[in-house]
Amino acid sequence: MEPLNLAVIVKLEPDFSEGNVSYKPDGTLNRNETKSTLGPHSGIAAKAAFYAKVRYGAKISVCSMGPPWADIALQQAQQTCDADVLHLYSDRIFAGADTLATAETLKTGIEKMEGKMDIVFSGHRASDGETGQTGPQTAWKLGFTFIGNVISYDVNLEKRTVVAKCLLTLNGVPNVIEEIEAPLPVFLTIDPSYKSNFTTVSQRIAFEKYQKEAYERARNFKQSLKVFNIDELGVDKTLVGLAGSPTIVYQVERIPKGKATRQAEVFDGSNSEHIRKVVAKMREALSAMVIK
Amino acid sequence: MEKYDVAIIGGGSAGLAALKQLSTLGKQAVLLEAGKKVGVKNISGGILYSKKPNKGRVYNVEDIYGQNFVNEAPLQRKITKYLLHATSKDKVFSMDLTAAHEYQSNFGYSVLMNELNAWFAQSADESAQKCGGGIVPGVHVNNISWDDEKERTIIQTDELDEFQVKAVIAADGVNSEVAQITRARPKFSAVQLYQGVKAIVKLPEDIINETFAIGADDGEAHLFAGDITLNHLGGGFLYTNRDTLSVGAVYHFDSLLDSPIEPNTLLDALLKNPMITELIKDEVPVRGKIDKTLEKEKQMQIRFAVTKLIKTWYEIRDVYLSSSRRKELIKTGKFNSEDEIKSKLSETREKMSSQYGIQFKTDYVEDEYGAKLIPDGKRCRMKKPYHKNVLFVGDAAGRGVFVGPRIEGLNVGIDDGVRAANAIARALEKNNFSQGYLGEYYTKSIEESPYTKDMKEIDKEYLKIFIDATKDVPKDILSAKHSLVLKLMSSGAIRSMAAKFVNVLGYERLLPVIESQESYVKVPTELAERSGKTISSSYTPSIPLLADRIAKLNYNDDKVSHIKVLNPNNDFMKKLVMLCPTKCYSEENGQVTIQHEGCIECGTCSEQTDWKHPRGEKGINYRYG
Ligand SMILES: Cc1cc2nc3c(=O)[nH]c(=O)nc-3n(C[C@H](O)[C@H](O)[C@H](O)COP(=O)(O)OP(=O)(O)OC[C@H]3O[C@@H](n4cnc5c(N)ncnc54)[C@H](O)[C@@H]3O)c2cc1C
Ligand code: SF4
Repeated sequence: MEPLNLAVIVKLEPDFSEGNVSYKPDGTLNRNETKSTLGPHSGIAAKAAFYAKVRYGAKISVCSMGPPWADIALQQAQQTCDADVLHLYSDRIFAGADTLATAETLKTGIEKMEGKMDIVFSGHRASDGETGQTGPQTAWKLGFTFIGNVISYDVNLEKRTVVAKCLLTLNGVPNVIEEIEAPLPVFLTIDPSYKSNFTTVSQRIAFEKYQKEAYERARNFKQSLKVFNIDELGVDKTLVGLAGSPTIVYQVERIPKGKATRQAEVFDGSNSEHIRKVVAKMREALSAMVIK
Repeated sequence: MEKYDVAIIGGGSAGLAALKQLSTLGKQAVLLEAGKKVGVKNISGGILYSKKPNKGRVYNVEDIYGQNFVNEAPLQRKITKYLLHATSKDKVFSMDLTAAHEYQSNFGYSVLMNELNAWFAQSADESAQKCGGGIVPGVHVNNISWDDEKERTIIQTDELDEFQVKAVIAADGVNSEVAQITRARPKFSAVQLYQGVKAIVKLPEDIINETFAIGADDGEAHLFAGDITLNHLGGGFLYTNRDTLSVGAVYHFDSLLDSPIEPNTLLDALLKNPMITELIKDEVPVRGKIDKTLEKEKQMQIRFAVTKLIKTWYEIRDVYLSSSRRKELIKTGKFNSEDEIKSKLSETREKMSSQYGIQFKTDYVEDEYGAKLIPDGKRCRMKKPYHKNVLFVGDAAGRGVFVGPRIEGLNVGIDDGVRAANAIARALEKNNFSQGYLGEYYTKSIEESPYTKDMKEIDKEYLKIFIDATKDVPKDILSAKHSLVLKLMSSGAIRSMAAKFVNVLGYERLLPVIESQESYVKVPTELAERSGKTISSSYTPSIPLLADRIAKLNYNDDKVSHIKVLNPNNDFMKKLVMLCPTKCYSEENGQVTIQHEGCIECGTCSEQTDWKHPRGEKGINYRYG
């Protein structure tokens, strides 16, 4: 059986944890004063990839587009997922990229990695951007099946498929968990509520082993790091950076909350007729969804 | 179901030794430890010994972890001086027992269990992984079952899928659940146990060197008896670590049940003794009063700034007052010179007093409070330390040598661990795990251990050294019974005969004479009163309240209680209101109830409760141990 080949795309973000963030007098982020770190959602993506390392001994490459000092995000990701390879795409020309241009850079990087990718992981969204588009766009550019909001997954190495559980949250309806099976390669964005579950002794032993390895590797992370400028990456200059970015962000605004009105109906739990009505209403509300 | 050759339950020093040895012999073993990390649940005094008995052999740490052990392991200080002090108020009479400490010994180092067991684990895990095994922390074993037909032994845990093994080593400590599951032995009773309670006192390295007048690598052990016992049977200890001190009290549990007293009160009695007060003293910052008329937010800001500044001051000071750390930080470029550290320290200090009104006074600083039961090997070692294919080691097997000033549990458990590993390796080779081939072989090996002999009889050589050390004790202090024994023992020829005679008589009958009110309390108190030196203390230590001690501990709370009270109105349970070291029990209308959240898993209440260790990763996490 062929081993799994995985990639994780991560991002350096401002550290919003207490004491590390600084604002300008006008209330906007002071990026020069604010420390940077691996984005929390990127961290969760790395954690999800680590699951495959423990379960299937997968090879993991982590990549990021960012300034030279974004290598610390790669280091932190390596400590989380015991990455074998770290790629940093760093060039002045990449600056000012929107999600589409970023996706182009990442896609080119992923295609340049050794071997064919089986799964690419990304975070749910970035904490300093509001879009959550980089993942899906990269998936689209790679031509991979895209699965979003993944809360857990397993791989069938023989069939070469992934079975992922995804969290669907719809306004006004209880959360629904959808199970999707898809052939590799796939692109997974990981939900913030993702949890890895290791239930056997061998899995836990592997977990401890790789975690130790991860710690050692991250201490010497420069040994696994390769930095690419635009020429080394060989990407089309018109598709990346500011030049490749059609988006103009004018302003990010809070979405106003709709006024809540309650239309409550009172049902008596001891009345079987009432119960029947409740069941019918639930069926109606859920009928729009496919539940496995 | 997954299959492994051996399961080791419990990652204390005994279980880890077993894992290391099995792996060295090329056998596959997995070790399951309830704590989130190996080391967080273990607590000791403690001095780790390596011994060289005249007759027979023991397995020492160097035999298992390599001859370079002393240079590689995180040991605190080599104990080069061992003293016993008799106390009465401000008077202390000291006897030098260094010869007893060095008796048949390669070395004795002070150690802190958290870091030492983590180091053992690192080494054992590396070897175990090569044989397809390893350490799994955060897992609590809750059952073992046997399917005799299929010759299967199945291990069940709170966290993982069940799995199958060929043999088991129970290294789960004094409150062994495996002993209950297998019914290999009843729970230990009060007469078979000591309760140990301990505090870690912070003191910079150079100050320790100065106070005790010792070199940077040397250490001292001090034992205490007399009025510090508050009339209970037991005593105190103080060991020097690199930049902390271990101060603790160990008492016969039955004596505590006879007249209940709070364990922290016994600890406090030690800390209030002027000799100890002087040994632990340091310079401590005291926060100034915050102007209450200021805005709430401003007050908060000041409070934060003060906390941060005090923390910085401690950090710089710890470096400045430690020759090794000073050198290291200069080497790594963090500081340019010692002068730079010094000026940084005085700068911070200046800022503390000028900007925030922080003052400095003489006091002491406690960093961690802890407690644990200790099995008295003389009274409770398992005569048959196995059940089916399960072998018991260390505290779980009730093994330890505690005779007068001799306090040895760590080295004994390590010796057991190796013997159990050897017995199982042999059984694996023949694929024979029957009681006759495995259990009996292990029992024989354990019986051959010189440590077992020390649990069974008096060692006349050791006795001589002890008696020589006490030669200045005026004999008329002793009762007729004691002085007769002492007189007999002082003569070489008679001693040999007498030792034989008492050994024939039976150790158990002699113990109440040796471990009596007279020897722990009366004689030492009178001795100190009559011949002791007066020591006056230069300050009154601010001993923390129990609530403050508990607040400093690190717990991973479990909503579900791991302890269930069975008889809320019996006598034992009522005494626990006093005897639980973290006051988990309270009594209302004659009914005792538990609040398990503060439990430090000492086991004091285990005899008469439904007592389990918390689920994996839950409960107390010691930082020192
Ligand atoms: C105050 C004090 C002072 C002492 N001083 C000294 C001294 O100076 N020198 C000396 O040699 N000895 C001393 N001792 C004794 C010594 O500390 C002990 O004998 C020794 O630590 C016991 O080691 P162990 O491995 O047998 O048990 P432990 O260290 O108790 O280890 C048992 C382990 O098993 C784990 N466990 C328990 N149940 C389960 C389960 N069901 N599933 C998974 N894991 C489980 C626990 O979490 C724990 O880590 C002292 C003890 C005390 C309390
Ligand atoms: S509840 Fe029991 S085991 Fe827990 S600290 Fe109190 S006496 Fe010890």
